[in-house]
Amino acid sequence: MKNKIEEIRKAKGIRQEDFAKIMGVSRQTISSLETGKYNPSIFLAYKIAKFFEMTIEEVFIFDEEEI
Amino acid sequence: MKFEKKIYLNIFYVVIGLALIGCGIADIVDSFWSGMGGALIGVGVIRIVQYVRYRKNPEYREKMEIEVNDERNKFLSGRAWAWAGYAFVMLNAVGTIAFKILENDLLSQYCAYSVCIIIVFYWISFLFLRKKY
Repeated sequence: MKNKIEEIRKAKGIRQEDFAKIMGVSRQTISSLETGKYNPSIFLAYKIAKFFEMTIEEVFIFDEEEI
Repeated sequence: MKFEKKIYLNIFYVVIGLALIGCGIADIVDSFWSGMGGALIGVGVIRIVQYVRYRKNPEYREKMEIEVNDERNKFLSGRAWAWAGYAFVMLNAVGTIAFKILENDLLSQYCAYSVCIIIVFYWISFLFLRKKY
């Protein structure tokens, strides 16, 4: 699943390391999320969206063809 | 936290390890068991040192908490176990046939039993998880 995490994070001027700490995950997890290698759990997706003060749909791009 | 609770288990490992080495020195058990005791002490001591560091170093504590609770790590661990299990079944299935062709019935049977046992475990786990989730 594609997402706008990197774009939003950079726009807010947050380093990957700091963002990982805030989310309570490893930096590698954030990196994998940003490159689309790993899809987050609904809990982490919610946490990320809440942190960015956005909805999950605004951060994560749902593509039916990927199913 | 899980990491904290496991300290008692590691103290137990060290005690058992010391007892096994003691029994080895007294010739009550053979070198296999005293070797096992040494391994238990090694594992226990490393874990205890990690625990002490965990208690005293907040930075290390934070790192460990993230490492243990990181959802990607949990996902990867589950995937790695699944791959390892699948590879084990496949290798043993191949081994069953290969050893039979090589006329080594004992090893062939060992491989066949291993496949059967892991498949039984798989189905028990699957049925258990199906009820749980």
